[in-house]
Amino acid sequence: MNRRVFLKSSFATLALPALESVSSALPVSGVKASNLRPPMRMVCVGNSFGMYPEQFFPKEAGPNYQMTPLLAPLEKHRKDFSVLSHLDHDIKGGHFSVHSFLSGVKMGDAKGMPEGNITVDQRAAEHVGAETRFPSLTIGSEDGLHGGCHMCWTRTGVRVPPIPGPRELFRKMFINEDANAQEKAADNFKMRGTILDAVRDEAKSLERRLSGQDKDKLDEYFSSIRDVETNLELDKRWSKVPKPNAPFEEPQDRSLVEDIPVLYDLIAIALKTDSTRVASFEMAGTGFDTSFFGFSAGYHSLSHHGKKPENLEKLVEIELYQMQQLARFLDKLKSIREPDSNGSLFDSSIILFGSGMGNGNAHVNTDLPIILAGGGFKLGEHKRYPSERIKRVPLCNLYLSMLQRFGVETETFGISSGTLADLDFA
Amino acid sequence: MNSKQVLIIGSLLSCFSLVSNGSEEAKQTEHSEAAVFNSHMRPFLDEYCVKCHGPKKQKGERRFDVLEYPIADDNALIDFQDILDLLNLGDMPPEEETQPSSGERQVVVDWLTQAVGIAYESRTITGGETVLRRLNHREYFNTISDLFEMDMSMFDPTESFPGERMVEHQDNVGDTLVTSGYLLNRYMEAADKIVEKALPFEEKPEPQTWSFEGGFEQQSELNKRHTTAHGQRYLNIYEAPNTVRRFGAYAPLYEFADGVPVGGTYKIRTLAEAVNRFHSFNREKVTNDPAEPMLMQVIPGHQRFGSLHLPQPYAPDLGTFALTDDGPAWYETDAWLDKGFAPRFIYLNGSMNIRPAFREVNDLVLANPDPSIPEEDLKADYMAVAIKHGVIPHIRIHRVEVSGPFYNEWPTRSWKAIIGKGKFNPKKTRRILEAFADRAYRRPARKDEVNRLMRVVDVRVDQGLSGFEAMKDGLKAVLCSPSFLYLEEDKRSRSERLSDFGLASRLSYFLWGSMPDRVLMNLAKRNRLSRPDILKSQLDRMLSDPRSDRFVTGFLDSWLTLRNLGDAPPDREKFETYYAENLGDAMRRETELYTRNALDENLSVSCFLDSDFTFANEALADLYGIEDVKGDDFRRIALDDPRRGGLLGQASILTVTANGVDTSPVLRGVWLLENLLGTPPSPPPPDVEPLDPDIRGAESIRDQLTKHRETQACQECHRKIDPLGFALENFDPIGQWRTTYDGRVEIDASGELPTGETFNDIVEFKKALMTHKDAFTLALTRKMLAYALGRRIEIMDRPQIDNIMASLEDEGDGFRDLVHLVVSSEAFASP
Repeated sequence: MNRRVFLKSSFATLALPALESVSSALPVSGVKASNLRPPMRMVCVGNSFGMYPEQFFPKEAGPNYQMTPLLAPLEKHRKDFSVLSHLDHDIKGGHFSVHSFLSGVKMGDAKGMPEGNITVDQRAAEHVGAETRFPSLTIGSEDGLHGGCHMCWTRTGVRVPPIPGPRELFRKMFINEDANAQEKAADNFKMRGTILDAVRDEAKSLERRLSGQDKDKLDEYFSSIRDVETNLELDKRWSKVPKPNAPFEEPQDRSLVEDIPVLYDLIAIALKTDSTRVASFEMAGTGFDTSFFGFSAGYHSLSHHGKKPENLEKLVEIELYQMQQLARFLDKLKSIREPDSNGSLFDSSIILFGSGMGNGNAHVNTDLPIILAGGGFKLGEHKRYPSERIKRVPLCNLYLSMLQRFGVETETFGISSGTLADLDFA
Repeated sequence: MNSKQVLIIGSLLSCFSLVSNGSEEAKQTEHSEAAVFNSHMRPFLDEYCVKCHGPKKQKGERRFDVLEYPIADDNALIDFQDILDLLNLGDMPPEEETQPSSGERQVVVDWLTQAVGIAYESRTITGGETVLRRLNHREYFNTISDLFEMDMSMFDPTESFPGERMVEHQDNVGDTLVTSGYLLNRYMEAADKIVEKALPFEEKPEPQTWSFEGGFEQQSELNKRHTTAHGQRYLNIYEAPNTVRRFGAYAPLYEFADGVPVGGTYKIRTLAEAVNRFHSFNREKVTNDPAEPMLMQVIPGHQRFGSLHLPQPYAPDLGTFALTDDGPAWYETDAWLDKGFAPRFIYLNGSMNIRPAFREVNDLVLANPDPSIPEEDLKADYMAVAIKHGVIPHIRIHRVEVSGPFYNEWPTRSWKAIIGKGKFNPKKTRRILEAFADRAYRRPARKDEVNRLMRVVDVRVDQGLSGFEAMKDGLKAVLCSPSFLYLEEDKRSRSERLSDFGLASRLSYFLWGSMPDRVLMNLAKRNRLSRPDILKSQLDRMLSDPRSDRFVTGFLDSWLTLRNLGDAPPDREKFETYYAENLGDAMRRETELYTRNALDENLSVSCFLDSDFTFANEALADLYGIEDVKGDDFRRIALDDPRRGGLLGQASILTVTANGVDTSPVLRGVWLLENLLGTPPSPPPPDVEPLDPDIRGAESIRDQLTKHRETQACQECHRKIDPLGFALENFDPIGQWRTTYDGRVEIDASGELPTGETFNDIVEFKKALMTHKDAFTLALTRKMLAYALGRRIEIMDRPQIDNIMASLEDEGDGFRDLVHLVVSSEAFASP
């Protein structure tokens, strides 16, 4: 399929292969059987309040940097990740700009951009299309300060809401519907098809009564119908493919902060079973309950530490926990061997950790904390990019490199000026 | 005014040249106007403005040395309007620069007023047009509620819709409300749920009774202890809802976890007992107030929303009871429950953190054991000891009975609204769908539209559905149709005005956030709604209908950003009362009641800036330090203290402009400029060192900002922003009065406005603000017109806004008058 043609259709929400090719792309057993090379995966993890810069970024650049307190949990993976500094999107807005973390574009500015404020994960998901049951899995907090991270966006400017807890994620991934529910679902597909036919005709007749801007607006509705029809077709086909077996009992939802490990485990299994190749995980919200750490002050409150040592100590403990969990996730990916390959799941997964917030105390969205791991990149150092204003490198350059590595044929992403200099493959 | 983003429309430009080359008379006028421009205006600009807005510097991206007359285009018109506005406000030239004499100023202001007026008149008002507007989530919810006449307290079909995009906090701007495949998919799911909820069955279900006594499971932390203490004989509630630990805060009926089998009214009877209301704990720790009777409330719960012992998104009050102190008693309520919901119980005025009390009580019991207590009881877990032998305040439920469903009306109201009085008969399908589509499309359905709906029904019958089920799919198709989802603003033939049906929708979505009712539709059918006298009487009728509360809520959300209240939850450690007293809701309620009152009483719009009364309940009055307001009910209270009057003393505003942790004069200042004064500051220039708050020492936020302002780039805007914020510094992040920052530094709330007035505190600040009342009224008028039209306000709307403001002043500045003026404006009747 020609990607460039696709790029021009600005209203498509998913880059789905033409329908004829869907059946051939569909696996027989739910797990793709005979690929010569393992498919590339992408995992993006973000939080709302950033990482305390003083204890996150190393002082020295290069491979021999002195470990910092917040990176310490990743010590054993030292050769397999890089920490990148002075990368950002050159925007302001504090909490209200955190949602641009993975796109480089604030939602208000999306209209002027060729691909809107699509995020790197959703761009990758478009590329995967119907090859997996879930083009992407977005996971994490639905709420939070000013709505939370709001991390994942489609090219039409719609936020993809996250799956809020392990229970729902587990059900989506593993629970096949019983015969009764399947019959109901089959009838539901028929109902939707009939309704779509009717409303398309309805829209055509409305269109004749409209002019100018109104007509353009109605175009959105027409492309929405096309999208829903495509999705419906895929849903129908996937509904006949059984889901993989559950590896453990259905987990109960606790608070997000307690559920981080099990959510990471489920992400690893989703990648392993090729249920999806793109996963995003946003950590914020009321679920990030600090009483888990025995604190009475909230996470947001602590991020406004005002440089008070007692606040900082607690903030760093919360952030450290996130890094420990990330380290554990990397362990997990390394422990899963890819079939028909010498490598592990880690080698074929591009992992990004970071935040749309640079320094939470100052509410700035510059100098974002960024960690890159896996994906077969040559890593293992602190890459310090220029901090002078005129020489700064857009973070979107990293995203472009990630997308190309993922297999997307594109020369631009968001506000990129090219691929990220000095990022090689191992 | 930040109106550089105005759309420049080609056709308008040609309007100018038309007028310039028009009649002789026009040419004459223009000639003399041009002469005055050269003799007075030009020298004035050169003398007082061009230094900063000329060839060398273009502050605010404005350059005036190249301005010419006649006014060449929209950009020039904006410049002229801006100069006029700022001269009128006295904001320019800046006070440190040479000032024109009042005579000079007056000549120029008079000339500008006339010149700008002529330029506006030279155009008709066609540029500002409302783009085909989708119902936003708020309107969708209300419309469904009215269309089906059903209880929505446990049902929000928009729950999984993606968030809406706002323009300057406004949620109904046509061109930015996006439709996507994602959303259409959700619309289809919602249509299914809505119709299935409204018409679940054809036959009236038989009532049943469920009783629950003993074997009460609770959350896992309690189960073992309750088994030890009383063999799970009681369902106990310990904490208030909304606590950190939620320890025994929600008492569900796990045996009834699947909830009621069908939606309906159920009788819920509870045998409950107030236990240990009179305790002697330190109230700092155990916050139950022994002076109040224990308050038990019944709320619904559904497994779909997770654990039943945790808060859930739907918590309507199904019945609240003050428990007596003489042992167990029956409390009874009749309440609607949606399918799958079961009653749960909460203790409204319970403790905010009961756990430490268990340890304390246990130690007391063990220290001096009553001889009657069996030895083995004393060896039990400390909580079990405390529950059984101690004095932990709690509500104890002995028995619960649920019976139903009962129906006040049968068929249900939804059934009657859709199907009519009798039973369903497949022969009536076409009539049912047609009548439904008439209402849903807010105009008579066309024949071909009904044909298409019938085709859906036929196809579904062919696919094996019963006539009833297939008819329901026809209803679902209506809810997914563009004629339902979009407000089609059709015009009258050969006219630039809305048709009466279009007008009915505009009116009802403005004032009710929902579809027109039968009265409006009937008037529209007879083309009478557009008659000014009828329009006026309908407006009054609509404002006295309770549905107009949706205007108050919807408009406050868009105008004062109240929808963001709670987005930055106050820190639990610092502001426990916010949670204990449910202050978030109370704050919102105050501002809503206040606005409602201004609307009902037609109070002067200046009451939003200052006044001598407000509305409060006990909790809010406590927050304000006002005594003698008792109970949860809101009432109007006179304010002796001038600090609280007007919006700026209301906790809702003070909380929504803070971040839940601390206050920022910058954030509050920007909020005031944007929303109250309608003059948003430009975004910060690039490359400015951000403020990194440091609260270790004795430096206040004011000191830090002063440093920040030493940078010339910052000074320009911050001298406008910061003083407004400083004036509010005596109000903490939830609106409580304070005189120091955590006892660290004294608060200094004084400041100087860019126009030169100085103030020492909020009271003097409000006085100064009153002298800028016109700026406030302009901002309010713009916002209300924008909200009414569902679009942005554009430069060509200015004459209409000026008209509205002029009439408003003549009529005495009434808030209700403003609504009337908006509705009777030309823009309101235009597509």
